[in-house]
Amino acid sequence: MTTGTESAHRVRSWSERYGPELQRHVAAMLGSADEARDIVQDLWVTALRARPERVDGANIRAWLYRVATRRALDHLSARRRRSDLLAAHSDELEPGPLPPADAALGRLSEAAAARVREGVAELPRRQRDAVWLRWIEQLDYPTIARRMDVSPEAARANVYHGMKKLRRDLAEVWREEGPI
Amino acid sequence: MTRRCTTCREEDVLAWVLGDPDADAAPELAERMAACPACRERAVEYGLLHLSAESLRDGPAIRWRRFGSPFGAMRIAAGTGGLVALSWQDESDDAFVAGLERRYPSTPVVCDTDRLVAAEEQLTEYFGRRRPRFDLLVDLTELGDFQRAVLDAASGLDFGETVTYTEIARRIGRPKASRAVGNALGRNPIPIIVPCHRVVRADRTLGGYTGGLRYKRTLLDIEGRTDLLRPPAIR
Repeated sequence: MTTGTESAHRVRSWSERYGPELQRHVAAMLGSADEARDIVQDLWVTALRARPERVDGANIRAWLYRVATRRALDHLSARRRRSDLLAAHSDELEPGPLPPADAALGRLSEAAAARVREGVAELPRRQRDAVWLRWIEQLDYPTIARRMDVSPEAARANVYHGMKKLRRDLAEVWREEGPI
Repeated sequence: MTRRCTTCREEDVLAWVLGDPDADAAPELAERMAACPACRERAVEYGLLHLSAESLRDGPAIRWRRFGSPFGAMRIAAGTGGLVALSWQDESDDAFVAGLERRYPSTPVVCDTDRLVAAEEQLTEYFGRRRPRFDLLVDLTELGDFQRAVLDAASGLDFGETVTYTEIARRIGRPKASRAVGNALGRNPIPIIVPCHRVVRADRTLGGYTGGLRYKRTLLDIEGRTDLLRPPAIR
Protein backbone atom coordinates (compact mmCIF):
# COMPACT_ATOMS: atom_id res chain seq x y z
CA MET A 1 0.00 0.00 0.00
CA THR A 2 1.47 3.30 -1.06
CA THR A 3 0.48 6.51 0.66
CA GLY A 4 -0.28 9.69 -1.21
CA THR A 5 2.82 11.34 0.16
CA GLU A 6 5.03 8.52 -1.04
CA SER A 7 3.65 8.71 -4.59
CA ALA A 8 4.01 12.47 -4.60
CA HIS A 9 7.60 12.11 -3.53
CA ARG A 10 8.29 9.49 -6.15
CA VAL A 11 6.66 11.46 -8.95
CA ARG A 12 8.62 14.54 -7.95
CA SER A 13 11.86 12.64 -8.24
CA TRP A 14 10.84 11.41 -11.70
CA SER A 15 9.97 14.90 -12.81
CA GLU A 16 13.34 16.18 -11.68
CA ARG A 17 15.16 13.36 -13.35
CA TYR A 18 13.20 12.94 -16.59
CA GLY A 19 11.23 16.18 -16.91
CA PRO A 20 13.69 18.14 -19.04
CA GLU A 21 14.31 15.40 -21.60
CA LEU A 22 10.61 14.51 -21.83
CA GLN A 23 9.75 18.10 -22.41
CA ARG A 24 12.25 18.34 -25.24
CA HIS A 25 11.02 15.07 -26.71
CA VAL A 26 7.44 16.33 -26.78
CA ALA A 27 8.48 19.80 -27.94
CA ALA A 28 10.34 18.24 -30.82
CA MET A 29 7.21 16.39 -31.88
CA LEU A 30 4.91 19.37 -31.49
CA GLY A 31 7.22 22.18 -32.44
CA SER A 32 6.03 24.14 -29.44
CA ALA A 33 7.75 24.38 -26.06
CA ASP A 34 4.59 25.78 -24.41
CA GLU A 35 2.34 22.98 -25.52
CA ALA A 36 5.02 20.50 -24.51
CA ARG A 37 5.15 21.98 -21.02
CA ASP A 38 1.39 21.50 -20.65
CA ILE A 39 1.56 17.90 -21.79
CA VAL A 40 4.44 17.02 -19.50
CA GLN A 41 2.75 18.71 -16.52
CA ASP A 42 -0.31 16.64 -17.25
CA LEU A 43 1.88 13.56 -17.40
CA TRP A 44 2.89 13.99 -13.74
CA VAL A 45 -0.77 14.17 -12.77
CA THR A 46 -1.33 10.90 -14.65
CA ALA A 47 1.68 9.34 -12.94
CA LEU A 48 0.34 10.37 -9.54
CA ARG A 49 -2.99 8.73 -10.24
CA ALA A 50 -1.65 5.62 -11.92
CA ARG A 51 -1.61 2.38 -10.00
CA PRO A 52 1.88 1.88 -8.62
CA GLU A 53 2.31 -1.60 -10.12
CA ARG A 54 1.78 -0.10 -13.54
CA VAL A 55 4.51 2.50 -13.28
CA ASP A 56 6.97 1.07 -10.78
CA GLY A 57 10.17 -0.70 -11.63
CA ALA A 58 13.23 -0.13 -13.71
CA ASN A 59 11.33 0.84 -16.82
CA ILE A 60 9.79 4.03 -15.56
CA ARG A 61 11.57 6.10 -18.17
CA ALA A 62 10.12 3.97 -20.97
CA TRP A 63 6.66 4.22 -19.44
CA LEU A 64 6.89 8.00 -19.19
CA TYR A 65 8.12 8.22 -22.77
CA ARG A 66 5.30 6.09 -24.04
CA VAL A 67 2.61 8.06 -22.29
CA ALA A 68 4.18 11.38 -23.28
CA THR A 69 4.52 10.25 -26.89
CA ARG A 70 0.95 9.06 -26.98
CA ARG A 71 -0.26 12.38 -25.58
CA ALA A 72 1.80 14.29 -28.10
CA LEU A 73 0.39 12.24 -30.97
CA ASP A 74 -3.17 12.78 -29.72
CA HIS A 75 -2.40 16.45 -29.49
CA LEU A 76 -1.17 16.48 -33.08
CA SER A 77 -4.32 14.72 -34.29
CA ALA A 78 -6.50 17.19 -32.45
CA ARG A 79 -4.50 20.03 -33.87
CA ARG A 80 -4.99 18.68 -37.37
CA ARG A 81 -8.72 18.47 -36.90
CA ARG A 82 -8.93 22.17 -36.16
CA SER A 83 -6.23 23.08 -38.55
CA ASP A 84 -7.47 25.73 -40.94
CA LEU A 85 -4.54 27.59 -39.59
CA LEU A 86 -2.08 24.81 -40.41
CA ALA A 87 -3.55 24.20 -43.84
CA ALA A 88 -2.41 27.70 -44.76
CA HIS A 89 1.19 26.56 -44.32
CA SER A 90 1.72 23.98 -46.99
CA ASP A 91 5.06 22.83 -45.64
CA GLU A 92 3.69 22.19 -42.17
CA LEU A 93 3.45 18.63 -40.91
CA GLU A 94 1.64 16.46 -43.42
CA PRO A 95 -1.71 15.38 -42.01
CA GLY A 96 -0.90 11.72 -42.62
CA PRO A 97 -2.91 9.12 -40.72
CA LEU A 98 -1.42 7.78 -37.51
CA PRO A 99 -1.38 4.12 -36.55
CA PRO A 100 -3.96 3.41 -33.86
CA ALA A 101 -2.68 2.99 -30.35
CA ASP A 102 -3.99 1.77 -27.07
CA ALA A 103 -4.08 5.09 -25.32
CA ALA A 104 -4.21 3.60 -21.84
CA LEU A 105 -1.09 1.52 -22.34
CA GLY A 106 0.58 3.98 -24.63
CA ARG A 107 1.50 1.37 -27.19
CA LEU A 108 0.82 0.69 -30.85
CA SER A 109 -1.84 -1.77 -31.98
CA GLU A 110 -0.60 -5.34 -32.43
CA ALA A 111 -0.85 -5.07 -36.22
CA ALA A 112 1.19 -1.88 -36.26
CA ALA A 113 3.73 -3.37 -33.86
CA ALA A 114 3.99 -6.48 -36.05
CA ARG A 115 4.94 -4.19 -38.93
CA VAL A 116 7.69 -2.66 -36.83
CA ARG A 117 8.86 -6.14 -35.83
CA GLU A 118 9.14 -7.10 -39.50
CA GLY A 119 11.10 -3.93 -40.13
CA VAL A 120 13.55 -4.91 -37.39
CA ALA A 121 13.77 -8.46 -38.81
CA GLU A 122 14.78 -7.01 -42.17
CA LEU A 123 17.64 -4.87 -40.88
CA PRO A 124 21.21 -6.01 -41.66
CA ARG A 125 22.42 -8.39 -38.94
CA ARG A 126 24.76 -6.07 -37.02
CA GLN A 127 22.28 -3.20 -37.07
CA ARG A 128 19.48 -5.49 -35.97
CA ASP A 129 21.51 -6.81 -33.02
CA ALA A 130 22.52 -3.32 -31.97
CA VAL A 131 19.03 -1.84 -32.33
CA TRP A 132 17.48 -4.70 -30.39
CA LEU A 133 19.94 -4.57 -27.52
CA ARG A 134 19.83 -0.80 -27.18
CA TRP A 135 16.29 0.15 -28.07
CA ILE A 136 14.32 -2.91 -26.99
CA GLU A 137 16.43 -4.29 -24.16
CA GLN A 138 17.87 -0.93 -23.08
CA LEU A 139 21.36 -2.24 -22.42
CA ASP A 140 24.19 0.29 -22.28
CA TYR A 141 26.77 0.64 -25.04
CA PRO A 142 29.69 -1.06 -23.25
CA THR A 143 27.47 -4.12 -22.63
CA ILE A 144 26.22 -4.13 -26.21
CA ALA A 145 29.78 -3.81 -27.48
CA ARG A 146 30.81 -6.89 -25.49
CA ARG A 147 27.86 -8.88 -26.80
CA MET A 148 28.57 -7.92 -30.36
CA ASP A 149 32.34 -8.15 -30.04
CA VAL A 150 32.86 -4.62 -31.38
CA SER A 151 33.88 -1.25 -29.90
CA PRO A 152 31.22 0.84 -28.12
CA GLU A 153 31.55 3.41 -30.91
CA ALA A 154 30.84 0.78 -33.55
CA ALA A 155 27.92 -0.53 -31.49
CA ARG A 156 26.46 2.94 -31.30
CA ALA A 157 26.98 3.59 -35.00
CA ASN A 158 25.11 0.36 -35.73
CA VAL A 159 22.23 1.41 -33.48
CA TYR A 160 21.95 4.78 -35.20
CA HIS A 161 22.17 3.43 -38.74
CA GLY A 162 19.60 0.78 -37.91
CA MET A 163 17.17 3.16 -36.22
CA LYS A 164 17.38 5.60 -39.13
CA LYS A 165 16.76 2.86 -41.65
CA LEU A 166 13.85 1.57 -39.60
CA ARG A 167 12.33 5.04 -39.40
CA ARG A 168 12.70 5.63 -43.14
CA ASP A 169 11.22 2.25 -44.09
CA LEU A 170 8.30 2.51 -41.69
CA ALA A 171 7.54 6.13 -42.51
CA GLU A 172 7.13 4.98 -46.10
CA VAL A 173 4.77 2.19 -45.08
CA TRP A 174 2.76 4.54 -42.87
CA ARG A 175 2.50 7.09 -45.66
CA GLU A 176 1.45 4.52 -48.25
CA GLU A 177 -0.86 2.34 -46.23
CA GLY A 178 -2.13 4.63 -43.54
CA PRO A 179 -3.43 3.19 -40.28
CA ILE A 180 -3.11 -0.54 -40.03
CA MET B 1 10.43 14.61 -52.01
CA THR B 2 12.51 14.52 -48.87
CA ARG B 3 12.93 17.83 -47.20
CA ARG B 4 16.30 18.36 -45.69
CA CYS B 5 17.15 20.34 -42.65
CA THR B 6 20.53 21.96 -42.33
CA THR B 7 20.37 23.08 -38.70
CA CYS B 8 19.21 20.06 -36.73
CA ARG B 9 20.49 16.53 -36.77
CA GLU B 10 18.48 13.33 -36.78
CA GLU B 11 21.05 11.93 -34.31
CA ASP B 12 19.88 14.41 -31.67
CA VAL B 13 16.29 13.25 -31.93
CA LEU B 14 17.46 9.66 -31.79
CA ALA B 15 19.57 10.27 -28.70
CA TRP B 16 16.38 11.31 -26.89
CA VAL B 17 14.38 8.37 -28.10
CA LEU B 18 17.12 6.00 -26.98
CA GLY B 19 17.93 7.82 -23.77
CA ASP B 20 21.60 7.97 -24.70
CA PRO B 21 24.08 9.44 -22.22
CA ASP B 22 24.55 12.57 -24.35
CA ALA B 23 20.82 13.03 -24.94
CA ASP B 24 21.12 16.47 -23.39
CA ALA B 25 23.86 17.51 -25.79
CA ALA B 26 21.60 19.82 -27.77
CA PRO B 27 19.34 21.56 -25.24
CA GLU B 28 18.22 24.17 -27.70
CA LEU B 29 17.20 21.55 -30.25
CA ALA B 30 13.50 21.85 -29.47
CA GLU B 31 13.57 25.53 -30.30
CA ARG B 32 15.39 24.89 -33.55
CA MET B 33 13.00 22.11 -34.45
CA ALA B 34 10.03 24.34 -33.78
CA ALA B 35 11.05 26.09 -36.96
CA CYS B 36 11.65 22.90 -38.90
CA PRO B 37 8.65 20.82 -40.03
CA ALA B 38 10.84 18.07 -41.51
CA CYS B 39 12.58 17.42 -38.23
CA ARG B 40 9.31 17.45 -36.34
CA GLU B 41 7.97 14.88 -38.72
CA ARG B 42 10.97 12.72 -37.89
CA ALA B 43 10.38 13.18 -34.20
CA VAL B 44 6.78 12.02 -34.67
CA GLU B 45 7.96 8.98 -36.62
CA TYR B 46 10.40 8.08 -33.88
CA GLY B 47 7.60 8.62 -31.41
CA LEU B 48 5.50 6.05 -33.26
CA LEU B 49 8.40 3.64 -33.35
CA HIS B 50 8.90 4.17 -29.66
CA LEU B 51 5.35 3.13 -28.90
CA SER B 52 6.03 -0.30 -30.36
CA ALA B 53 9.07 -1.04 -28.18
CA GLU B 54 7.14 -2.82 -25.47
CA SER B 55 5.17 -4.98 -27.92
CA LEU B 56 8.43 -5.97 -29.56
CA ARG B 57 9.99 -6.84 -26.23
CA ASP B 58 7.00 -9.04 -25.32
CA GLY B 59 6.63 -10.56 -28.78
CA PRO B 60 8.47 -13.24 -30.74
CA ALA B 61 12.19 -13.07 -31.40
CA ILE B 62 14.81 -15.69 -32.15
CA ARG B 63 17.91 -15.45 -29.96
CA TRP B 64 21.16 -17.10 -30.94
CA ARG B 65 24.44 -17.71 -29.17
CA ARG B 66 27.90 -18.95 -30.13
CA PHE B 67 30.22 -20.66 -27.65
CA GLY B 68 33.34 -22.76 -27.69
CA SER B 69 33.08 -26.53 -27.29
CA PRO B 70 35.74 -29.27 -27.40
CA PHE B 71 34.67 -29.72 -31.01
CA GLY B 72 34.89 -26.13 -32.14
CA ALA B 73 32.41 -23.27 -32.29
CA MET B 74 28.86 -24.25 -31.45
CA ARG B 75 25.80 -22.15 -32.26
CA ILE B 76 22.37 -22.51 -30.73
CA ALA B 77 19.12 -20.60 -31.23
CA ALA B 78 15.80 -20.42 -29.43
CA GLY B 79 12.44 -18.72 -29.80
CA THR B 80 9.86 -18.20 -27.11
CA GLY B 81 8.79 -21.86 -27.39
CA GLY B 82 12.25 -23.35 -26.88
CA LEU B 83 15.34 -24.29 -28.88
CA VAL B 84 14.95 -24.25 -32.64
CA ALA B 85 18.49 -24.78 -33.95
CA LEU B 86 21.91 -26.13 -33.07
CA SER B 87 24.95 -26.18 -35.31
CA TRP B 88 28.35 -27.58 -34.40
CA GLN B 89 29.74 -27.98 -37.86
CA ASP B 90 31.95 -25.56 -39.69
CA GLU B 91 29.78 -22.57 -40.39
CA SER B 92 30.08 -18.81 -39.98
CA ASP B 93 27.82 -16.69 -37.79
CA ASP B 94 26.43 -15.17 -40.97
CA ALA B 95 25.52 -18.56 -42.44
CA PHE B 96 23.88 -19.71 -39.21
CA VAL B 97 21.87 -16.49 -38.86
CA ALA B 98 20.92 -16.52 -42.56
CA GLY B 99 19.46 -20.01 -42.07
CA LEU B 100 17.36 -18.75 -39.17
CA GLU B 101 16.23 -15.72 -41.17
CA ARG B 102 15.01 -18.02 -43.94
CA ARG B 103 13.08 -20.13 -41.45
CA TYR B 104 11.60 -17.12 -39.61
CA PRO B 105 11.28 -14.33 -42.18
CA SER B 106 9.22 -11.87 -40.13
CA THR B 107 10.78 -12.51 -36.72
CA PRO B 108 13.89 -10.63 -35.60
CA VAL B 109 16.90 -12.93 -35.21
CA VAL B 110 19.15 -11.29 -32.63
CA CYS B 111 22.23 -12.16 -30.62
CA ASP B 112 21.56 -13.56 -27.18
CA THR B 113 22.01 -11.72 -23.93
CA ASP B 114 21.89 -14.49 -21.35
CA ARG B 115 18.81 -16.56 -22.03
CA LEU B 116 20.74 -19.38 -23.67
CA VAL B 117 23.33 -19.76 -20.94
CA ALA B 118 21.55 -22.79 -19.49
CA ALA B 119 21.62 -24.55 -22.85
CA GLU B 120 25.33 -23.78 -23.22
CA GLU B 121 26.07 -25.15 -19.73
CA GLN B 122 24.12 -28.34 -20.31
CA LEU B 123 25.87 -28.98 -23.61
CA THR B 124 29.26 -28.37 -22.00
CA GLU B 125 28.35 -30.87 -19.26
CA TYR B 126 27.23 -33.36 -21.87
CA PHE B 127 30.54 -33.11 -23.73
CA GLY B 128 32.31 -33.69 -20.42
CA ARG B 129 30.14 -36.80 -19.85
CA ARG B 130 28.60 -35.16 -16.83
CA ARG B 131 25.08 -34.85 -18.22
CA PRO B 132 23.23 -37.85 -19.60
CA ARG B 133 19.97 -35.97 -20.10
CA PHE B 134 19.10 -32.47 -21.30
CA ASP B 135 16.55 -30.47 -19.41
CA LEU B 136 15.70 -27.99 -22.17
CA LEU B 137 12.58 -27.06 -24.11
CA VAL B 138 12.70 -27.70 -27.82
CA ASP B 139 10.28 -26.23 -30.34
CA LEU B 140 9.57 -28.51 -33.30
CA THR B 141 6.17 -27.01 -34.14
CA GLU B 142 7.19 -25.58 -37.51
CA LEU B 143 8.16 -29.03 -38.84
CA GLY B 144 5.89 -31.38 -40.76
CA ASP B 145 3.94 -34.06 -38.89
CA PHE B 146 6.10 -36.93 -40.10
CA GLN B 147 9.42 -35.32 -39.23
CA ARG B 148 8.12 -34.20 -35.86
CA ALA B 149 6.94 -37.75 -35.08
CA VAL B 150 10.39 -39.10 -36.02
CA LEU B 151 12.24 -36.54 -33.91
CA ASP B 152 9.86 -37.06 -30.98
CA ALA B 153 10.58 -40.79 -31.16
CA ALA B 154 14.34 -40.11 -31.24
CA SER B 155 13.96 -37.79 -28.25
CA GLY B 156 12.73 -40.76 -26.24
CA LEU B 157 16.11 -42.53 -26.54
CA ASP B 158 18.37 -42.49 -23.50
CA PHE B 159 22.06 -41.64 -23.21
CA GLY B 160 24.03 -44.46 -24.82
CA GLU B 161 20.93 -46.27 -26.11
CA THR B 162 20.71 -46.95 -29.82
CA VAL B 163 17.89 -48.27 -32.00
CA THR B 164 17.61 -48.93 -35.74
CA TYR B 165 15.97 -46.76 -38.38
CA THR B 166 13.43 -49.55 -38.82
CA GLU B 167 12.63 -49.50 -35.11
CA ILE B 168 11.88 -45.76 -35.23
CA ALA B 169 9.70 -46.36 -38.29
CA ARG B 170 7.83 -49.04 -36.35
CA ARG B 171 7.42 -46.82 -33.28
CA ILE B 172 5.76 -44.06 -35.27
CA GLY B 173 3.43 -46.52 -36.97
CA ARG B 174 5.09 -46.36 -40.41
CA PRO B 175 7.03 -49.66 -40.45
CA LYS B 176 7.95 -49.42 -44.13
CA ALA B 177 9.24 -45.86 -43.96
CA SER B 178 12.74 -46.47 -42.58
CA ARG B 179 14.38 -44.61 -45.48
CA ALA B 180 12.10 -41.61 -44.91
CA VAL B 181 12.98 -41.84 -41.21
CA GLY B 182 16.64 -41.52 -42.19
CA ASN B 183 15.88 -38.42 -44.24
CA ALA B 184 13.83 -36.86 -41.45
CA LEU B 185 16.65 -37.46 -38.95
CA GLY B 186 19.13 -36.03 -41.44
CA ARG B 187 17.21 -32.75 -41.41
CA ASN B 188 17.08 -32.57 -37.61
CA PRO B 189 17.43 -28.85 -36.81
CA ILE B 190 18.55 -29.50 -33.20
CA PRO B 191 21.10 -32.34 -33.30
CA ILE B 192 22.67 -33.63 -30.07
CA ILE B 193 19.75 -32.34 -27.97
CA VAL B 194 17.30 -34.23 -30.18
CA PRO B 195 19.55 -37.28 -30.28
CA CYS B 196 19.26 -38.44 -33.88
CA HIS B 197 22.77 -39.89 -33.49
CA ARG B 198 21.28 -42.72 -31.42
CA VAL B 199 19.61 -44.16 -34.50
CA VAL B 200 21.91 -46.59 -36.33
CA ARG B 201 21.71 -49.43 -38.85
CA ALA B 202 20.66 -52.97 -38.12
CA ASP B 203 24.15 -54.29 -39.00
CA ARG B 204 25.66 -52.13 -36.19
CA THR B 205 27.25 -49.72 -38.62
CA LEU B 206 26.41 -46.12 -38.00
CA GLY B 207 24.24 -45.30 -40.99
CA GLY B 208 24.35 -41.63 -41.95
CA TYR B 209 24.86 -38.26 -40.34
CA THR B 210 24.50 -34.78 -41.77
CA GLY B 211 27.92 -33.18 -42.01
CA GLY B 212 29.76 -36.49 -41.74
CA LEU B 213 29.86 -39.68 -39.74
CA ARG B 214 32.77 -38.47 -37.61
CA TYR B 215 30.26 -36.24 -35.79
CA LYS B 216 28.00 -39.18 -35.05
CA ARG B 217 31.01 -41.24 -34.00
CA THR B 218 32.09 -38.47 -31.59
CA LEU B 219 28.71 -38.35 -29.87
CA LEU B 220 28.41 -42.12 -29.54
CA ASP B 221 31.95 -42.23 -28.12
CA ILE B 222 30.93 -39.64 -25.51
CA GLU B 223 28.07 -41.94 -24.61
CA GLY B 224 30.42 -44.89 -24.24
CA ARG B 225 29.26 -46.77 -27.34
CA THR B 226 32.69 -47.74 -28.59
CA ASP B 227 31.29 -51.18 -29.44
CA LEU B 228 29.66 -49.90 -32.59
CA LEU B 229 31.51 -50.45 -35.83
CA ARG B 230 33.76 -47.65 -37.02
CA PRO B 231 32.59 -45.88 -40.14
CA PRO B 232 34.24 -47.23 -43.27
CA ALA B 233 37.39 -45.38 -44.25
CA ILE B 234 37.05 -42.76 -46.92
CA ARG B 235 38.81 -43.86 -50.09
